[in-house]
Amino acid sequence: MTFDTMILIGLLASILRATTPLLLAALGGLFSERSGVVNIALEGIMVFGALGAAVTAQLIERPYLAENPNASVWFAPWVGVLAAMVVGGFIGWIHAVVSIRYKADQIISATAINLMSIGIPAVILTGLYDNSTTSARIENRLPQWGVEGFTFSPLVYLAFILVPVSWYVLFRTPFGLRLRSVGEHPEAADSVGIDVRRMRYYGVVISGVLAGLGGAFLSIGNLNQFVAEMAGGRGYIALAALIFGKWTPWGALGATLLFGAFEAIGTLLGGGQLLPPSLVTAVPFILTMLVLAGFVGRAIPPKAIGKAFDK
Amino acid sequence: MNDRLTVAALTVVAALTAFFAPWASFNRETAARGAVTLLPNRTIDFTGRTDAVDVPQLAVVAVLLAALYTVLLVASFLPKPTRHIAWLAGGVALIASTFYGLGVHAAAYDAARTTEVRSVLEEALAEPSARTDVAGLESLLERFDTQTLEATRLDALQVGVRIRRLPYADGAPGLAAFMAIVTGGLAVLFGLQVFRRGARAVQALADRIAVPLTAIMLALAAAAVVILVLQPTPLGNDVQLANWREALAGRLDTLFYAYWTLFSGSLGTFEGFTEALKFATPLIFTGLGVGFGFQAGLFNIGAPGQMAIGALFAMLAGIYLPGPGWLVLPLAVAAAALGGAVWGAIPGFLKARFGANEVINTILMNFIASSLLLFILSSSPVFAASALRILTWLGVSLLVLIALLFIPRVRTLLTARPRASAAGVMGILLVIMTVAGWPRAGDGPVTVNLPFKAAGSEPKSVPLQETARLPQLPQLFGVDPATMVGSTEATFNLAAWLAVLTAGLAFVLLGRFARARAWWARLLASVAGGAAVFGVLALAGLTAMPVTVPPSNLNAGFLIAIAAAVFMHVFLQRTKWGYELRAAGQSPGAAEYGGVNLKRNTVLAMAMSGGFAGLSATHYVLGGALEDFSLRVSLPTSDGFDGIAVALLGANNPLGIVLSAFLFGVLKNGGSTLNITFTDLTRDVVNMVLALVVLFIAARGFLPERLTDPIKRAAWRRNKSASQDGEGEEGDA
Repeated sequence: MTFDTMILIGLLASILRATTPLLLAALGGLFSERSGVVNIALEGIMVFGALGAAVTAQLIERPYLAENPNASVWFAPWVGVLAAMVVGGFIGWIHAVVSIRYKADQIISATAINLMSIGIPAVILTGLYDNSTTSARIENRLPQWGVEGFTFSPLVYLAFILVPVSWYVLFRTPFGLRLRSVGEHPEAADSVGIDVRRMRYYGVVISGVLAGLGGAFLSIGNLNQFVAEMAGGRGYIALAALIFGKWTPWGALGATLLFGAFEAIGTLLGGGQLLPPSLVTAVPFILTMLVLAGFVGRAIPPKAIGKAFDK
Repeated sequence: MNDRLTVAALTVVAALTAFFAPWASFNRETAARGAVTLLPNRTIDFTGRTDAVDVPQLAVVAVLLAALYTVLLVASFLPKPTRHIAWLAGGVALIASTFYGLGVHAAAYDAARTTEVRSVLEEALAEPSARTDVAGLESLLERFDTQTLEATRLDALQVGVRIRRLPYADGAPGLAAFMAIVTGGLAVLFGLQVFRRGARAVQALADRIAVPLTAIMLALAAAAVVILVLQPTPLGNDVQLANWREALAGRLDTLFYAYWTLFSGSLGTFEGFTEALKFATPLIFTGLGVGFGFQAGLFNIGAPGQMAIGALFAMLAGIYLPGPGWLVLPLAVAAAALGGAVWGAIPGFLKARFGANEVINTILMNFIASSLLLFILSSSPVFAASALRILTWLGVSLLVLIALLFIPRVRTLLTARPRASAAGVMGILLVIMTVAGWPRAGDGPVTVNLPFKAAGSEPKSVPLQETARLPQLPQLFGVDPATMVGSTEATFNLAAWLAVLTAGLAFVLLGRFARARAWWARLLASVAGGAAVFGVLALAGLTAMPVTVPPSNLNAGFLIAIAAAVFMHVFLQRTKWGYELRAAGQSPGAAEYGGVNLKRNTVLAMAMSGGFAGLSATHYVLGGALEDFSLRVSLPTSDGFDGIAVALLGANNPLGIVLSAFLFGVLKNGGSTLNITFTDLTRDVVNMVLALVVLFIAARGFLPERLTDPIKRAAWRRNKSASQDGEGEEGDA
């Protein structure tokens, strides 16, 4: 293998890693927005998912490590992943209650969750670790699967498998049809006996579970601890990718791969002395804006998106 | 709100706290350890070294409280006039008894403190040690009653008697007393309904503040749970809690003292008050920005980015603009607004032209702005030569493009087919960038030195020139803050201030009562009035009135914030543009039908919204709130997000925004005190409260619709008065 191919394979791997959290969050957003609820809380939910995963994994392995510092607690990160899904689903449920049951402006409700993701993790971390920005390090990370030099966390595989799964669920099952119908025309759906609010609850909670998984990938898939603000705008980029991908799973896949490539290339550029790193971090955001301004005009969102259903 | 249920429920809770919760606390030591007094007369000591003092009058207070709570509770079930009269009387009596109870408690401990200090001094005199200055001690005891205890303590140090701290110091009311005052106040408020006017005023007030008040209460209640979980009752060494009642009193004391710490620092002292105003100033700006956007139907989450760019512009203006202070300073303030406006106008333009969602774009631009700020202030960034050439040419081409857009012919040509021209421009830019960026021989890394960067590794700018610095508040009174230690005597130009005030008031009043006059006639008349006032007062010698100025770090940015709030009110409520913006916000379709240009309005609204947020640089950069009048990376742009909470709590109107910004200023100031006072609590609790306020305001749907929706409120009130006219009495509030 030549040096160039190695760089190329390395770049490809880092593109896939950068894509994973974006893809998970974008798929989550897909379920929520298809049911008619805007979810800019993806960012906050990812933070909470990351926190849930890291704290749970750390608390589970702690007693074992106290006995034997080299103990292998293989199940700790997996329970962490489960916790991230539960926490994500719970935060999604809060967004659902506020915006569906109490008919709040969906963007304000989600903004509240994003604000909470700044203050509450700090409070929890202070209570657990006397440190308001990072958790303790986790010794047992998720395993890496794959061939030599090209290994990924199981969550990476899961994210890409979830694309066809989401497509099948949304476009080939009665559940998906109902979910989309309450997002397009809730009154019509209601008149044929679909429980609009319940379907929207499903959509938003599923989006929370998926975004929570994305958060878990950040804290125990890619790294081995929780760091404050670790979502770093990925939730918003995922949302932009969802719009760019015209609210379809395959479109979301394409868009997140593109944004993932921006991020990976940006990191690569920052490594050499090409651009100062502070400017490199801005690159994915600038490109996202250009893409949104240039192409979104033609994308058609679900018709009833952003509107509370008033029976 | 159902007032009978509210008073009854509150009374029961207050009666319970009167029995279980501390009445007052005293002898508060480091790490928030203290001792508390419970009604009727019981002391629990958490420090392990406090001697209790007997306060027999508290038994009377306990009986009074029990009787008054019973009155209030029974009255809640009585018919209308009796109920209100009983509430009014009972509430007043409750408040009076509470203050009496707090008074006797404080008096007893004051007396005990005096006795103890005197006895220590007398003991030292009876058995003098080698260091004691006996003659000095005798004279100190002679003047003991004429000076404060703190002064005596310091004097005692001089004569060789060491008293580390005053005994029984730092007393504060407890939860039981607080609940009594709250219950009494509410009973009085609802009791005022016995008067016809009072009924209307109380109802209007209750309707208006129900939503924000409920949101704040719920957020504080959630914070209470967090405080109870995080912070164990602070105990001294070897102190054991005897039973569950002591443990409960400890928990309630911890909780109440935490809130006491949050609020008392800002509301209890002048220094704390100005400190809270200092925290509030940037929140007013960002709150106005977000609120302005909401009024126009736009959600501007980009205040953090607009703050950063406003600060950048203000810094550049403040460092480089030549000229005298009276010219540079207003221009620097304008630059701050311009920076924010540019950053806000971009997503506005993208929405108007391409339909791109402003929520996502403003968020993305926050990240871009923070990168830009870091890049501009970080020390000596290194580029590859070709990358630098690409960036330079990109910047030049964009400037040329913007210049070209000002030529009408070019503009019509480009806007005729926006997508095609966008693609064309992109293509040309790509070609330019490729040509510029093509590697050349001898390319190496280039280090860029920006001239305004301060030397050293810390990411900050050089300080602003003197002419671009906003005065601190004491400076407005003619005091140099650098030389100011403690309170300072200064002269105050009362005549000038009163003249300005008179002129402003006259302008407003003339507008109200003499509508026919042209505005310039009103202006002339009010200026003349102001000049006359100045003349008279100047003759009386009030141009240099001596005053004592307390120390304060508050800068003139606060006054600009108030002015901005007034400006927003006038702009939205009194001008054609403001009317169009509000119309477009509430009902875009109708507004467009009425001839409002929605696209232009979107750009204008986003630009002004960003301008308000950008003005926060007057506080942080021109006002020197980030130390030594320079721009630093530590610029707290999270104030931009807090502005969302401020705007929502203030219902997007300028007065509400100023008030809620002040509340958050108090909380933020209190948060820093919380950090210091308690071992396990941090200021993050305050950030959590802010977020929860937004959540609960968003979820206000659980309240009755007449509280959350002004239109439904009007309908409800009409129905109510109609039914009352028909059936006479007894249509309950």
